[in-house]
Amino acid sequence: MIGRLGLRVAVALVFLFMIAPILSVMVWSFSGGRLFVFPPSAWTLKWYGSIPPAFLAALKVSLLTAIGATVVGVAVGVPAALALVRGALPFSRALSAICLSPLMVPGLVIGVASFQFMNVIFDVFRLSLLESVPGLILGHAAFTVPFVIRAVIAGQVQYDAAIEEAALSLGATPLRAFFTVTLPMLAPAVASGAIFAFLMSFDDVPVALFVGGGSATTLPVLILNSVQFNFSPDILALCSIVAGAIVLLVALCSRLFGLDKFTGPSHS
Amino acid sequence: MALKRAWGFLLLPALAVLAAAFLMPLANLGMKSLHLFAGPGREQPGLTLENYIAFLEDPFNWGLLGWTSLLGLLVVGISLVLGLPVAYFLARTKTRWRPVLFLLVIAPMLVSVVIRNLGWIPILSESGVVNSLLIALGLVSQPLKLFNNLAGVVIGLVHAFLPFLILTLATVIQRIDPQIEEASINLGAGPFETFCRVVLPLTRPGLIAGSLIVFTLAVSAYTTPAVMGGGRVLVMSTYVQQQIGTLLDYATGATVAIVLLVWGAFLSILALRFSKAEA
Repeated sequence: MIGRLGLRVAVALVFLFMIAPILSVMVWSFSGGRLFVFPPSAWTLKWYGSIPPAFLAALKVSLLTAIGATVVGVAVGVPAALALVRGALPFSRALSAICLSPLMVPGLVIGVASFQFMNVIFDVFRLSLLESVPGLILGHAAFTVPFVIRAVIAGQVQYDAAIEEAALSLGATPLRAFFTVTLPMLAPAVASGAIFAFLMSFDDVPVALFVGGGSATTLPVLILNSVQFNFSPDILALCSIVAGAIVLLVALCSRLFGLDKFTGPSHS
Repeated sequence: MALKRAWGFLLLPALAVLAAAFLMPLANLGMKSLHLFAGPGREQPGLTLENYIAFLEDPFNWGLLGWTSLLGLLVVGISLVLGLPVAYFLARTKTRWRPVLFLLVIAPMLVSVVIRNLGWIPILSESGVVNSLLIALGLVSQPLKLFNNLAGVVIGLVHAFLPFLILTLATVIQRIDPQIEEASINLGAGPFETFCRVVLPLTRPGLIAGSLIVFTLAVSAYTTPAVMGGGRVLVMSTYVQQQIGTLLDYATGATVAIVLLVWGAFLSILALRFSKAEA
């Protein structure tokens, strides 16, 4: 049974590796000693009281962007996914491929392309999207829309069309059957697509790096800049709060909707 | 017929948003790559393939492609070594903690990648956890350099993409009938031999699909090489950022970006083919 024990030890070590950086952010956010000397010589709560205002402003930009990009994703993605699965549209395979294609494109390429396109928009229409939250939302829509479409397509494959037919044959109008039977059954798929889209927008660096900036600098970009130029431990408190909130959100959603919906590849 | 057209209308808003956010920007990027550089932020008029010819003729670019691929292969190799035991364990365990274990695989993947990268600094820095332990155990006399270099990038990328591999492999291993393994053990093979000669060959489609996914994600990642490499590790994506963000050479940046796009899309389609074949 040495093999079994060996397997368990190996698995435990890999799990430790997986949670190490998150644990590390949380532990060091309470450290009061010299920066990053192990083990920490003193403990403090002071960083939680002195989160720099620039980082709170960036958190607000990130949240506004992620909410906006998710709303756009759900608003246009859910009808599109319904049309793609139930519409029997001509060229439906090609249309699906177009709708999902952004998921195959590296985030940096989307960032660079958005940046140059928004320059063109400014030259032609004098409409300034760069360094603005609406610009960030548009840039992020490139991947939040396909994420929602993919989740809702998957949700429809699993669900039973006979239930909707039953509602129709019992006298419900198509519209009523859709809103009282179909939509509630699709709700978990929509919700998991939306949450995943939100987290991807909140996580994004390459698009926000090119499209954002100035008063529309997102939290990940600000953290990236501060790691590269003037690192100070006061940002660890905010990072630890954000990481904790995301882990809680994911744990909650996995209880509510199942974990399998969260596993699509993404570029980071 | 009218109903069919109504379905089509439901697709229009999504197509409009994707056109504005993705298709037109991409077409514009492609056009930029067909113009020559004419000073910061400007291009010469006239379409030409010169940028692509210059890209293919410059050994530096081949070096960059090769170097980025090598990094991808390294990340795939390490991920396979770390991921296989975990995937096998998750697929076969009967513990009631299984949902929690799956959560432990998935949650790190969804926490912002810059925050995770930040978390590695106190672990990998010269006075950090790993070096303190190694020195205390007498395994090294000088602290190892594990951050702001290639080692840091590899650690960060493995951490970022290992969950994709584990989940892909666990799904495939779960479908293998445990009785096949029991048969192998009954016929006298040890657990390790059974794993290598029975489980692994049956996992092959998952191994190929999972490796392709990790490779694709690793060669096109930007954030982790930028943070964990400390600006000292040049890969395709950080090179594009440098050309466009710093040197304002939109033409060259667009050309390399298109090369990265074609390469990434090709690998993604390949990965999709293999995961479909396996399902």
